[in-house]
Amino acid sequence: MKIRRKYLFYILAFTSAIIAAGVAAIDAVISSVYIPNSLAFSFSCFLVGTLISLLILLIFSIPIKGKSLGSKIIDPSFKRLRLVRKEEIKYHIPAGIGNAILTIGYLSLLSIFGDPSTVLPFSQIVILYLVLIESITEKNIPTLSEIQSSVIVTFGAMLGSISLTGIINLESLAIVFLVINPAWVMFSIYQRKLKMMKIDKHPNDALNIRFWNVIFACLFTAIVVFIYDFIMGTSHILGGITASIEHFGWVALTMGVTFFSYVFYIRALGIGKASVTQAVRASTFLFAIPFSLMLSYFNIIPPFSTDPIMILIKMISTILVILGIVSFALTLIKAYVFINTKPGYPIEEIMQKLWEIGGVTRVTATAGYYDFIVKIRTRTLVKGYEKIIRKLDEIEAIKEYKWESVLKEWENI
Amino acid sequence: MINAYILTIMRPGQTDRAIKEMRKLGNIEKISVVAGEYDIVIRVRVKSLGNLLKVTDKIQLIDGVKKTTTQVIEKELAL
Repeated sequence: MKIRRKYLFYILAFTSAIIAAGVAAIDAVISSVYIPNSLAFSFSCFLVGTLISLLILLIFSIPIKGKSLGSKIIDPSFKRLRLVRKEEIKYHIPAGIGNAILTIGYLSLLSIFGDPSTVLPFSQIVILYLVLIESITEKNIPTLSEIQSSVIVTFGAMLGSISLTGIINLESLAIVFLVINPAWVMFSIYQRKLKMMKIDKHPNDALNIRFWNVIFACLFTAIVVFIYDFIMGTSHILGGITASIEHFGWVALTMGVTFFSYVFYIRALGIGKASVTQAVRASTFLFAIPFSLMLSYFNIIPPFSTDPIMILIKMISTILVILGIVSFALTLIKAYVFINTKPGYPIEEIMQKLWEIGGVTRVTATAGYYDFIVKIRTRTLVKGYEKIIRKLDEIEAIKEYKWESVLKEWENI
Repeated sequence: MINAYILTIMRPGQTDRAIKEMRKLGNIEKISVVAGEYDIVIRVRVKSLGNLLKVTDKIQLIDGVKKTTTQVIEKELAL
């Protein structure tokens, strides 16, 4: 089926956000009723998560008419459960550390706050970190529109973080800025790198990436909790194992649902930039509001204020987040540049020079009328001229080129 | 596997219907409507040059397609 890449990206990111909101509600119940200790809960999550992820992957590996079940319904790149490849390990280690730390931070935050719609928005500030890092790692300097959209989403999320009970907790801000956000950046960047990898000349699949991430995260969580236990003389490791056995059903439920949230997130990461994916996923806290209302109704979290100012703040935050996401979506320009070169210049050298131009996402050396076809991604045409055309003009080997702006695009999924 | 771009020039007024036809074809990775000398850029992925010929043939038979230029990809760098 061919659908527009942009639609697929938003479907995946929003699906991930909705599932994440549901997960946050389940986590809130577990944290307040069954496993209040965040360290024990974190270790328990990955312990049970490893089992559940393995089970899900085995089910998705079942072949149906020559293709696996997982490739039919979740990710077309998935074939079957496989061992982690040597070349993946260098990315799985930082992604696993990131996931371990952010999970511990997130569950600590949840144990302080209780209300998921208040906990989730804080972590969306990570978009600003991602925009900055992408400008370094993906040779893609953020445009004014990207910065504007990121700031709009961030402030919307921050406003949304004010609890409907009217409480602001400064301790939680420290956890977010010093623990969760840096860990989330590490997790996102390396998950994206894994998704962009080719395994046996095919795109890497989100299901195996998630499964191996859970295993690495389980290992690193065990190390963190063990060190904490060793220093403080506590026994959270044992608490985590006991909780996994006593509340297996609840932890399996949250980790089973989380699995799908992250699989969709990883797939979205393979299509869009990490910052844009994160911006769309910021909508999680909006989806978390009905869950929070439900938890409040069952007295799991404190009842909400009916103060009109609090409700107005929540509404403004909702509008800001939506506005920021729409703004991200509408400001992407793509183009092809068809290039003919002069004879006597090495192909590899020209390819490298083209690749070094900011905004270039694909360089192909071709046989036919043109020597190179280059794909461009830019936020504005002005930037396209200033950053790309000027650079092309500087390459001596180029005889002539044609710029063809992409008006609409469909992609095989 | 062989990857290629097929650059297409269309007759006026038939682009929408032609795209609908192209979306039904196999081996097509991406269809981009562009503004410039060409009208549609199609990226295809086939097992052999023989299959590339078949796909090109199918595209040329679509109503509204005036001219195609095929560019076979020899090497690629991508994000």
